[in-house]
Amino acid sequence: MSTTIDTKTVKANPRPAAEEAPAKSKGYWHGVGARLIRDPVSMICAGLLALLLGAVVFAPLLPLADPFTGSMVSRLKPIGTEGHILGTDELGRDMFARLIYGGRLTLMLGLLPVAFAFAIGTCLGVLAGYVGGWLNTAIMRTVDVFFAFPSILLAIAISGALGAGIVNSLVSLTIVFIPPITRVAESVTASVRSLEYVDAARISGAHPLTVVRVHVLGNVMSPIFVYATSLTSVSMILAAGLSFLGLGVKPPEPEWGLMLNTLRTAIYIDPVLAALPGAMIFLTSLCLNLLSDGLRSAMNIKD
Amino acid sequence: MLAYTLQRLLYVIPVAFGVSVICFMLVHIAPGDPLTAVMPIDATAEQQAAMRAEYGFDRPLPVQFAIWLTNALQGDLGASIATGRPVASEVSRAVGNTLILAFTASLIGFPLGIFFGFVAGIFKDTLIDRAVTAFAITGVSVPNYWLGIVLVVIFSVTLGWLPSMGAGPGGSTNWAWDYEHLRFIILPAVTLAVVPMGIVTRTVRALVGDILSQDFIGALKAKGLSRFGVLRHVVRNVTPTTLSVVGLQLGYLLGGSILIETVFNWPGTGFLLSNAIFQRDLPLLQGTILVLALFFVFANLIVDLLQPLVDPRIKRG
Amino acid sequence: MFLKPLRSAALAVATVALLSTSALAAGTLRVGMTASDIPLTTGQTDQGGEGMRFMGYTVYDSLINWDLSSADKPSTLTPGLATEWSTDPEDRTKWTFKLREGVKFHDGSDFTADAVVWNLDKPLNDQSEQYDTRQAAQGASRIPSIASYKVVDPLTVEIVTKAPDATLPYQIAWIMFSSPANWEANGKDWEKVAANPSGTGPWKLTSFVPRERAELVPNTDYWDENRIPKLDKMVLIPLPEPNARSSALLSGQVDWIEAPAPDLVPALEGNGFEIVSNAYPHNWTYHFSRLEGSPWNDINVRKAANLAIDRAGLKQLLGGLMIEAKGFMPPSSQWFGNPEFDVKYDPDAAKEYLAKAGYGPDKPLTVKALISPSGSGQMLPLPMNEFIQQNLAEVGINVDFEVVEWNTMINIWRAGAADPSAQGAQSINFSYFIQDPFTGLIRHLSCDLIAPNGTNWGHYCDPEMEDLFKQIRNTFDPAEQDKVLQKTHEKYVNDALFLFVAHDVAPRAMSPKVKGFVQAQNWFQDFSTISIEE
Repeated sequence: MSTTIDTKTVKANPRPAAEEAPAKSKGYWHGVGARLIRDPVSMICAGLLALLLGAVVFAPLLPLADPFTGSMVSRLKPIGTEGHILGTDELGRDMFARLIYGGRLTLMLGLLPVAFAFAIGTCLGVLAGYVGGWLNTAIMRTVDVFFAFPSILLAIAISGALGAGIVNSLVSLTIVFIPPITRVAESVTASVRSLEYVDAARISGAHPLTVVRVHVLGNVMSPIFVYATSLTSVSMILAAGLSFLGLGVKPPEPEWGLMLNTLRTAIYIDPVLAALPGAMIFLTSLCLNLLSDGLRSAMNIKD
Repeated sequence: MLAYTLQRLLYVIPVAFGVSVICFMLVHIAPGDPLTAVMPIDATAEQQAAMRAEYGFDRPLPVQFAIWLTNALQGDLGASIATGRPVASEVSRAVGNTLILAFTASLIGFPLGIFFGFVAGIFKDTLIDRAVTAFAITGVSVPNYWLGIVLVVIFSVTLGWLPSMGAGPGGSTNWAWDYEHLRFIILPAVTLAVVPMGIVTRTVRALVGDILSQDFIGALKAKGLSRFGVLRHVVRNVTPTTLSVVGLQLGYLLGGSILIETVFNWPGTGFLLSNAIFQRDLPLLQGTILVLALFFVFANLIVDLLQPLVDPRIKRG
Repeated sequence: MFLKPLRSAALAVATVALLSTSALAAGTLRVGMTASDIPLTTGQTDQGGEGMRFMGYTVYDSLINWDLSSADKPSTLTPGLATEWSTDPEDRTKWTFKLREGVKFHDGSDFTADAVVWNLDKPLNDQSEQYDTRQAAQGASRIPSIASYKVVDPLTVEIVTKAPDATLPYQIAWIMFSSPANWEANGKDWEKVAANPSGTGPWKLTSFVPRERAELVPNTDYWDENRIPKLDKMVLIPLPEPNARSSALLSGQVDWIEAPAPDLVPALEGNGFEIVSNAYPHNWTYHFSRLEGSPWNDINVRKAANLAIDRAGLKQLLGGLMIEAKGFMPPSSQWFGNPEFDVKYDPDAAKEYLAKAGYGPDKPLTVKALISPSGSGQMLPLPMNEFIQQNLAEVGINVDFEVVEWNTMINIWRAGAADPSAQGAQSINFSYFIQDPFTGLIRHLSCDLIAPNGTNWGHYCDPEMEDLFKQIRNTFDPAEQDKVLQKTHEKYVNDALFLFVAHDVAPRAMSPKVKGFVQAQNWFQDFSTISIEE
């Protein structure tokens, strides 16, 4: 499980991106897009992820079995059973439907904490980097304290104390991802701030918010965004791990980590069936990682 | 240099204090009564109140924190609610076992990761590179607790080659580095090493590829520097970042073992933590997290202190 | 699909085991427990029934023990450290216990009347030096009736109860006697005693690693020659995770596991492992709220629900590992009696009863039920509850679940149905230890014990029942007392006071090498008869 957030390496090289252009022009994004399209691996991954995303978003519209009701008589049916294309789980519920509905929660727990942390961390980091002084010290030293915890440990500690539940998982994962994003944002902002033209804009009396919006955010967003993409797979695997431990989503809600847990005893009955949720986590995470790699090289950000 | 070292050393104090505040607060963000899980099911109201007083849960928060911190500084982390045993002795025994596992996993993961990273970096954009990268990214993407279960089914149950659980034939107390004991650590250590190996591989590959593509390498080659000489150059440039990534991964090995230890019944801190969580044994949760976080703080301190020694470019202070 | 390679694997495992276990003495039994820790070793154990099973009745004795020698009949009480006990016919609160002569603790010190008083002070008297919060937390609530106790002579102890209470022997059977001399020798520190405990039981603890393992060896000087263990050693290993437990058994690391997951039973049996099970006093039920407005106040609704459950289907779901409930006690219990209401699966009769109560297809009944996804003794709570939900829906009772965490559930159970935490739920799904008259019958329905003062969750209070409870406490002849208990249970069933669903059968899986185990119909077991055939 990739649970490491190695900001040190990200932090070490924010400049190439920042120095590239004062603000990203249309041409730049065209270039990124063109490079990405020429990368077959990224395109396949993006396609698979789009398919999955579509399926989970529109799940209620799809002709799926009810993921919550099953029959005890038809429990643990193998893959390919009539009416249950991917078999049934330990309560006789349709696996295919549960995997799709499970993807909703798993993906949500992958995306939302990172999105929240992205918003909060970027604000904190830009604030710290732009204003500097005591505010920088206050924010960054607090961040340092959270950094003193290995990320998975922090997530487990907070979830463990708060107890199981979707909201608690969201809270604990968001807290885990705020510090690294803040750090990246701060360091990129600080380096952008010291660039001559930003300095010039500040001295020329431009409104601080305008300076931040035009010059800082424009430069800061893309490295942070790429970094955040790579965190999504970390977040998803962590969330599934929490559910696996019984700290995340509560039954009977379908979630891949939890399904993996409850199907554990079925491993001696139908190992392939028991492995399905694990395979889903693996494939999704693999696609996210590959896509993030592709994005990174397309944007010419070094890792 | 000395100033940097001193500054870095002193900086540990506020961080450690912050860490202790967070650990302390863990018990108090928890909903419900921490004693629920351990009181006999038909305990009377008086028995419950008596237990609450015994554990000091009836005092104001800052007082509790002051007492807890003072005790913690003297090595007393309170008593486990579930077992009544001192948390410090529970944690110290478990930390030893986790360190054995983490150490073995790093012996497997780091050298392999560095090796694969170098190979992929040197042969960048070839078939070898692609294979290695695919392998590394698979390692990073697979949920390792699941990998652990699969390995047990294959190697313990079906093939019967390796034990499925525990830390040695007689428990962890008489651990030894002989085959009888190492058999027990192979599966958990391999499972645990997969992620750090993947990450180190990816980092080293990127660094090596990056340096080899830089102009000065070409210049060095042109000047007639031997292959070995070039390699030495690359190593020197790659070491600092690799070191910091390895430092971060140590944290992963310490904290990330919770799921692995649960799967393999390995009596370390992760095993302790999951027990603490399920019995809602908050003092134990608190103490274990504190000790692990402090370990991580010191691991990072050491990495940071080593950094200027190995990095030819940085002059800090 | 795993079974074939497994079978040959079992051979391979056996070979490996032979090669690698040569260091172990012949006749070592390695047990995988469901507890996540070694139960408290100092005397009064924690970890519920499993704790008493492995660390209570092994290392220790009580004045009165459970007779665990038979698998065919319900266990009864038998003399332990006391050879006889009686009450004063003039003053029924006065009990005299005659102690067994010549019993020694493992540390060599004598078991005397002083030791009995000392051990009663241990959980009851917080002024005494040996008072131990942890043992008190486990022991004090087990002997609520005791008012005082004193030494009469070195082999006689007198115990006085607060009111006449014929159930005292059952209460006493909970109390484990540890050696005072050993406690002195360990610096009066229970923490040190934990690593080096001393009882009078058939097993001695020789090695103890918290959370990992405990090793027990026979006490060859045990006072009951028939219960001197045959094994050389018994090793206890906490393995809380069901899969890890089964893997350990399949890979030959343990010889015996408690509570294999029902889904794994076929795989275990297919590989030559034996599944042993038996009835024991356990009960999985819906405890009804009897507050005003609860639909369960209507006996017709209660009977309808009881007739709606397809217990045979449920048994199939559990791989056969349950007993279909016919009442609150298992059918084999000595206190079952002859109730007139036959608890069975009869949906048509259920619909009739429901119609009598004024509900029907046009006017379905909706009830709210508290359930938890896990919990000790809860068997497979989610699948079982969903099954029951379907059954009840078929006759016209719609169940809305309120799913809460197990620890929350315990708190709600303690607080009672009227507490806001119960969220207006009209039943709680709980499983009960019902081994003695108090835990089995009295505590659930006594007026004095209405929650939160006691464990009468549903606020039931009925003068007729109250009178029966009084009779139980005042009938000092065991055979007569059993008759009153039967009458009480008959009322439980005839009035359909609970939703009677299932009894667990305490399944355990063991290697074919394990011989001579007799599974008593009890929460506790005797390990003395076991041997390992190499």
